[in-house]
Amino acid sequence: MIESKRHRRLIANIATYTVLVSLSAFCIGPMVWMFLTSLKYEADIVTQTMQYIPSRITFDNYVAIWTQSGFPLLIGNSLVVTLLTVTICVVTGTLAAYAFSRFAFRGRDRLMLGYLVVRMFPAVMVIIPLYVVMRGVGLVDSRFGLALAYTSFLLPLFVWMLKGFFDSAPRELESAARIDGSTRLGAMVRIVVPLARNGLVASSVFIAIAAWNEFLFALMLTTGQGSRTWPVGLQLMVGEFQLPWAFWPPAASSASSRSSFSSLSSNEPWFRG
Amino acid sequence: MTSSASRYLPFRALGELSETRYWMYLLLLPSLVLILLVIAYPTLYGMAISFREMRLTRPGLDGWVGFKHYAAMWSDPVFWIALKNTVVWVTAAVVLELALGLLTATALNRDLPGTKIFAVLILLPYFLPNVVAGHMWALMLDPRLGVINDILVRMGVLQSYKAWFADPNAALAATILVEAWHGFPFFALLLLAGLKSIPEDLYKAAAVDGAGVAAQLRLITLPMLKTVIAAAVILRVISLVNSPDLLLILTGGGPGDATQVLSLYAFQTAYKEFNFGYASALSVVMFVILMIFAVAYIRMSRITKE
Repeated sequence: MIESKRHRRLIANIATYTVLVSLSAFCIGPMVWMFLTSLKYEADIVTQTMQYIPSRITFDNYVAIWTQSGFPLLIGNSLVVTLLTVTICVVTGTLAAYAFSRFAFRGRDRLMLGYLVVRMFPAVMVIIPLYVVMRGVGLVDSRFGLALAYTSFLLPLFVWMLKGFFDSAPRELESAARIDGSTRLGAMVRIVVPLARNGLVASSVFIAIAAWNEFLFALMLTTGQGSRTWPVGLQLMVGEFQLPWAFWPPAASSASSRSSFSSLSSNEPWFRG
Repeated sequence: MTSSASRYLPFRALGELSETRYWMYLLLLPSLVLILLVIAYPTLYGMAISFREMRLTRPGLDGWVGFKHYAAMWSDPVFWIALKNTVVWVTAAVVLELALGLLTATALNRDLPGTKIFAVLILLPYFLPNVVAGHMWALMLDPRLGVINDILVRMGVLQSYKAWFADPNAALAATILVEAWHGFPFFALLLLAGLKSIPEDLYKAAAVDGAGVAAQLRLITLPMLKTVIAAAVILRVISLVNSPDLLLILTGGGPGDATQVLSLYAFQTAYKEFNFGYASALSVVMFVILMIFAVAYIRMSRITKE
């Protein structure tokens, strides 16, 4: 009886590891392949017999993209857009999240639901009129305009995430500050926001990565070098250089940081919303 | 002394304002204005455009045309193909992702040593940008240089290299595979959180009563996960219907219209043909269909009641 139970558990463990190993291979296999290919010489990529392990290694692909294709400019634009998006979201979103978390007022639940529902609008349905509107006010092909467009789907998310963090910050300290004569504003700025700073950082990182990786809005709303972000640059470059090697580092670094962040932190906020 | 007092005057005024009963509305104001400006207004405007003639290539053409675009859609064969493809593509991808996600979550939930590392590796694809994921797979499925062709030929599955995105059926299947690869970690993550909230005692009690693994899955795991599964499915369906990115990169809707979906069709109508009126009508129809589905689905699965 005990023998068979142990036997069964062993089988279950073997099955579990088999599943985990094969799924991990399925997940990272393509990425490893991409990385290996990025180190090959062009001649070794276009061969009759496929080379699985590169016979010789080169960094020419990375150098070429960095120096020949305006790659630093694309990354710079992405940085600016991301930074602007985060700034707009943090400034306006923190206030809203605090109001939702701390005050009971008429229409509060309905408004919060409204913030959630706008997130479900199809991107295409928003992009087309947004393009027309932004063209009217001269915000097409501008980094600020793109950041503004990003807030359309990232700000509601930010508010929902941050509200959760505010909810879990204790109210007692805030009450104590109020008794000591601090205004509501003072209590918010000096007590509550510092208490929820981890949540603030986590939510900001989340929207920063979303803005960093966004493609569709950027494709539609940027037309020139001045504001083009790296995902769009990559898309346009594929015809030119054939294969998008150098995009490996920015993509992989943001992906891996997000991945470890969400599987290691016990309080994963992003699917609460 | 006086100068520092006057410097803080704005702050003091704000502090006093925060004591009034309008404070929460003031706090909400900036975000509300922004959301109204960048979503609500464009959305309403977009609905208006769908009843108008608007082509950026021909600025003279303007004016209200009523239901012209909607009528045109009714007799547009590409619209019906795109609708059918959307249903097939989304259904197949979601079923595949749910199955893989459930498998992953169950395996991760056993908490064997090393699970954390596997979790990080398995989550990686989900956080890879669509553009990169798309081009990565386009490279691997390439008819000349693709490693997948090479592996399949070596294994004897294929006689010769196959141009995956040239054959209509293979193209749709291949894009579903890529989407499943990209999206199943999302299900794994949500389902894992759901599994963790099922009390261990239930399984122990079931084991005492002699329930096997299959019975435990059917009688405990799936019913307890029902809410999470329903929520995950609806979120995924919405985001799949709405985002044309992956198909835009992999196939651009081709060959022919074999992988054309509604969102991509609307985007291309706007981006390539600059026919904003028709594109808006397409996206409005897509939105309405999606909302009808979402409401029906939520009613049926009754996730709000629990």
